[in-house]
Amino acid sequence: MQLKDYQHIEDGELLQRYYKEYNNEWLGILLQRYTLLLLGVCMKYLKNEEDAKDSVQQVFLKVINDLPKYQVVFFKSWLYMVAKNHCLMKLRDKGQVVIEINEQVLIAKEDEDGILEAKNKDQHLEQMETALNELNAEQKLCVTLFYLQKKTYQQISEDTGFTVMQVKSYIQNGKRNLKITMLGMSKHES
Amino acid sequence: MNPELKDILSHLQKDVDQEKLLEYLSKNLTEAEQHELEKHLNEDPFLSDAMEGLEQMEHSEKLPLMVQQLNAGLKSKLDSKKKKRRRTAMFKDNWTYYSIIIILVLMVIAFVVIRKFLIP
Repeated sequence: MQLKDYQHIEDGELLQRYYKEYNNEWLGILLQRYTLLLLGVCMKYLKNEEDAKDSVQQVFLKVINDLPKYQVVFFKSWLYMVAKNHCLMKLRDKGQVVIEINEQVLIAKEDEDGILEAKNKDQHLEQMETALNELNAEQKLCVTLFYLQKKTYQQISEDTGFTVMQVKSYIQNGKRNLKITMLGMSKHES
Repeated sequence: MNPELKDILSHLQKDVDQEKLLEYLSKNLTEAEQHELEKHLNEDPFLSDAMEGLEQMEHSEKLPLMVQQLNAGLKSKLDSKKKKRRRTAMFKDNWTYYSIIIILVLMVIAFVVIRKFLIP
């Protein structure tokens, strides 16, 4: 299995080929694209390298067994959910406090993005500016530095004195809030 | 008004490949490339979670080796599944052959019986 040979084939196409003949070779190529991400996600939740490695193996096995049972459309989102749920279950078995399993990845995010993306016109840029001003000071600062001045997390952290983790969360939360405000505005409009 | 405002909610299509991610972790990307990858981080919860975990790894230089080991493990899991499936398939194939032979034998017997008893 040479991953590079298949780089040009999209996930969806590989998944279709897999479902056509249930040939595990396609699944192997697909899964190997996400090994590093799976390792990272397991590490984030389990905080232990060995546990994380074991969990990636278990997630692989779960996917090999479960994928034929469902008609998965968005492989990446499905895989993320499988991995996350696996880790949260493991934490629960260990008796550690588990945050609520969040399945929002399953909601097709295309729809909302689609609405907002189509609106790149001046009027919407104006709305965006208004929405940006409604963010709290930290979020507004980080979003502006990142998207408008194209700085990296590290540079923003140096400029503002926030940690890189804080910068990341201000940008991500800021972006989410901005999206909510913008959606509110477009609903109000229509 | 800044036209780059639209970047905040634009949807990035292409996924980040694993090698780029490793280079980001080992801080081998230019600032522009870093920024590009961070844009993906902002909108992809899978990638963002993964990055958070990978940053906690004590020896990030060992990551390529770990990925290689995990992929090798995956390959052996897939191979063992394949063998099992092949065995089942072969068993099914054998039954096809058996049925064809039985049908042929029955036809020959029928032919002989008809010749011998029904045609004067």
